[in-house]
Amino acid sequence: MSSSADAPVAVRLRDVHKRFGAVHALRGADLSLGFGEVHAVLGENGAGKTTLLRILAGLIPPDRGEVIVGGRVARFRTPRDAWSAGIGLVHQHFTLVARFTVLENLALGVRWGGGGFALPLRDVRRRVERLAEETGLAVPPDAQVGTLGVGERQRVEILKVLLREPRVLALDEPTAVLAPGEVDMLLRLLRTQAAEGRCVVLVAHKLDEVLSVADRVTVLRGGRTVLEAARSEVSADLLATAMVGEAGALVLGESAATTAVRRPAPAPGEPVARLEGVTLSGPRGERALKDVALEVRRGEIVGIAGVEGNGQRELAKVLSRRAQPLGGRATVPPDPGFIPQDRAREGLVPDFDVAENLALALHRRGEWRRGPLLLWQNVRATARDLIARYRIAAPSTRSLARALSGGNQQRVVVARELESGRDLLVAENPTRGLDVAATAFVHEELLRLRARGDTGIALLSTDLDEVLALADRILVMVRGRLVEVPEDARTRLGVGALMLSAGESQESSSSV
Amino acid sequence: MRSGAFPFAAIVAPAAAFALSLLVAGVSLWLGGHDPLRAGAALLGGAIGSTDAILSVTLVRSVPFILTGLAVALAFRAGVWNIGAEGQLYAGALAATWVGLGFSWLPGPLHLALVLAAAAVGGALWALVPALLRVRLGVGEVITTLVLNFVAIDLASWAVRGPLQESRRVFPQSEALALDVRLPALWAGTRLHWGFVLAAVLAVALWWVLGRTLIGFKVRAVGSSPEAARVSGRIAVQPVTLGAFLASGAFAGLAGGVEVAGVTYALYEGLSPGHGYTAIAVALLAGLNPLAVIPAGILFGGLEGGAGAMQRFASVPAAWVGGVEALVILCVLAIHQGVRRFGRAARDGGDEGA
Repeated sequence: MSSSADAPVAVRLRDVHKRFGAVHALRGADLSLGFGEVHAVLGENGAGKTTLLRILAGLIPPDRGEVIVGGRVARFRTPRDAWSAGIGLVHQHFTLVARFTVLENLALGVRWGGGGFALPLRDVRRRVERLAEETGLAVPPDAQVGTLGVGERQRVEILKVLLREPRVLALDEPTAVLAPGEVDMLLRLLRTQAAEGRCVVLVAHKLDEVLSVADRVTVLRGGRTVLEAARSEVSADLLATAMVGEAGALVLGESAATTAVRRPAPAPGEPVARLEGVTLSGPRGERALKDVALEVRRGEIVGIAGVEGNGQRELAKVLSRRAQPLGGRATVPPDPGFIPQDRAREGLVPDFDVAENLALALHRRGEWRRGPLLLWQNVRATARDLIARYRIAAPSTRSLARALSGGNQQRVVVARELESGRDLLVAENPTRGLDVAATAFVHEELLRLRARGDTGIALLSTDLDEVLALADRILVMVRGRLVEVPEDARTRLGVGALMLSAGESQESSSSV
Repeated sequence: MRSGAFPFAAIVAPAAAFALSLLVAGVSLWLGGHDPLRAGAALLGGAIGSTDAILSVTLVRSVPFILTGLAVALAFRAGVWNIGAEGQLYAGALAATWVGLGFSWLPGPLHLALVLAAAAVGGALWALVPALLRVRLGVGEVITTLVLNFVAIDLASWAVRGPLQESRRVFPQSEALALDVRLPALWAGTRLHWGFVLAAVLAVALWWVLGRTLIGFKVRAVGSSPEAARVSGRIAVQPVTLGAFLASGAFAGLAGGVEVAGVTYALYEGLSPGHGYTAIAVALLAGLNPLAVIPAGILFGGLEGGAGAMQRFASVPAAWVGGVEALVILCVLAIHQGVRRFGRAARDGGDEGA
């Protein structure tokens, strides 16, 4: 494993070990970062990528091993120590104060000079506007963070770190929540940051993004560094094999094939959900849905693409019967299945076990109830059956949801919602944050459900590739309006152009 | 039950916490110039030194702790931070006294049942305003329930000097309840009354409802993750919160009614020396598990009974006894919660691995 030859070494993590109780997250990981390079850290869920980054940023101490900054062993006791060493981390999970405005949140991260107790909001605003212009990270400065979509929040997170002018910029899965155009912009931004002499390190799932931006690549598997190489020395196949190991590569190839081969569409059946002229207000009182028309028929997957924050959340609410439209007509079957995008907060009760989480949506089933009683024996029997059928890796039905990996948590949610929604299934970013294998699982289940022909599926996703791969029809959500994508525009480029351009002339944006 | 799934937190933690709290109490007594061993012996003697101490002191005193402990455990499980068990207890006691002194034409057993029902309703009504404020307007219940405690205590004080004062109008207390509206003794010659059985049965019932029934499942889901309950459970969160809040108030109100009908037989000023606050310690020590509230309540009952003996036989002044009691509660809570968190962190390390 050679260290970078052309770039001076900025930070080095050597033989790092970390345990959390029974889980051995890192068992001998190495990472060598140089100034002026974009360094990608790859690995499956649970490979230890996030843990490694958290150690780098001083959030947790390693059990063993060293962090070497500028040739000297550094001991980060707090994140502040890491900041002082010039290391800034953009978190995978958001660390913003929901009740603060964007500007107030950004002011939190800045060390301001001079005396006095007043927040230098004007100063921060000026710097934010300049930085937003340089980087293309548009954010509405006076909006409360709690009202922003996930994509917008992430832009705020990145700005927050950039405002500190770090020498080492670390990002944990920054592209997971972004639209293709935004991803390109972010990757360009990372290149610029590296060109300015910074060290950029990012954790990523998606190979193509990594390959397009990284100078060097480190692959983790099972808490160990299994590969470190220059981008020019490795192929996508080599990286994928390194990530999953020889045995795993077989499984991957199989599921990728399943996703790629599309069976001819069965003639879609009768409509199960129909929206006509639907309008709805969003959290900031703005019109989030404007005159939306949509029909979902049995046996088809209707894909709804769009950049985060264009009304998808509200559309999902109407389709899953969690909101009544302000205007227009929504005909939605009772009790649709719903896969929420925020698994940990909306999809599961973390302190409930697997059976209890399955019972969440299924508790109205006749065979599970006798009068006021929940028949736990029946619930647990069904849960055992679902654990087997959906290959949920849980020791028993009594395993707590919080103890499962992200992929297995999603299997619980998918199992429950596929079982409960007979006529309509609404899936909102169902593969967000999942690794390759878990993503393939979700895709297979959606296709299998479609093949059965009883259920209409509405797939709302910011992942354009997912929509293109799965959907029979594609619509694009732009500023609260739904635009059908003609068959001849069914390409990344075509849909991406619609997502970013359409409707721009109609509204003036409140963004900086 | 979650706490049952993790015996370390359920058994070792409270035991260790209690042992250390005794140590702290001993040191503080020694610093105050008292003989800790003598005081400790007096405490133990007063709490469990004889059959009479156990039955007539410890178990009798445990009843309000169990009932208010159930009130707090239910509320906390439902995500309701009800700090108002004290006020709800007074409201229940007031309602019980009023019904107990009137309606004397009713046959005895029915009258007694009505007294207890009135106590529960009184407690629930006292919780109604904070519950509606929380559910309808999102007003935090910590402040509202706390403030209403003082209102309830003062209301009771006013009642025993006004409309409910005994007929000679000398003492700030009500007339005594008639014999047939008093809770009978469990065994003749002891002061242990049927209220203890009632509290224990209710604890088992609450445990069963939370663990086995659909409504209990909904309460736990809403309390643990309201978002997931609403989105994935299709549960109407507000009615569940409201119902649990009122039921919590009813348990606390019943504690007041049982004190009046089983121990004091009359409403007094200062009927409760803060049972409704200690209830929070009882419930947390029990890990919010209704079954565990029974032993936790008995523990605190013994502590209170023993503290009285410590005052009488080891001549530790009352103020000092109160301080030691508070110290013990503080130790129990601090260590208990600390150990639970430690246990949870060790168990949940897997979350960090991604």
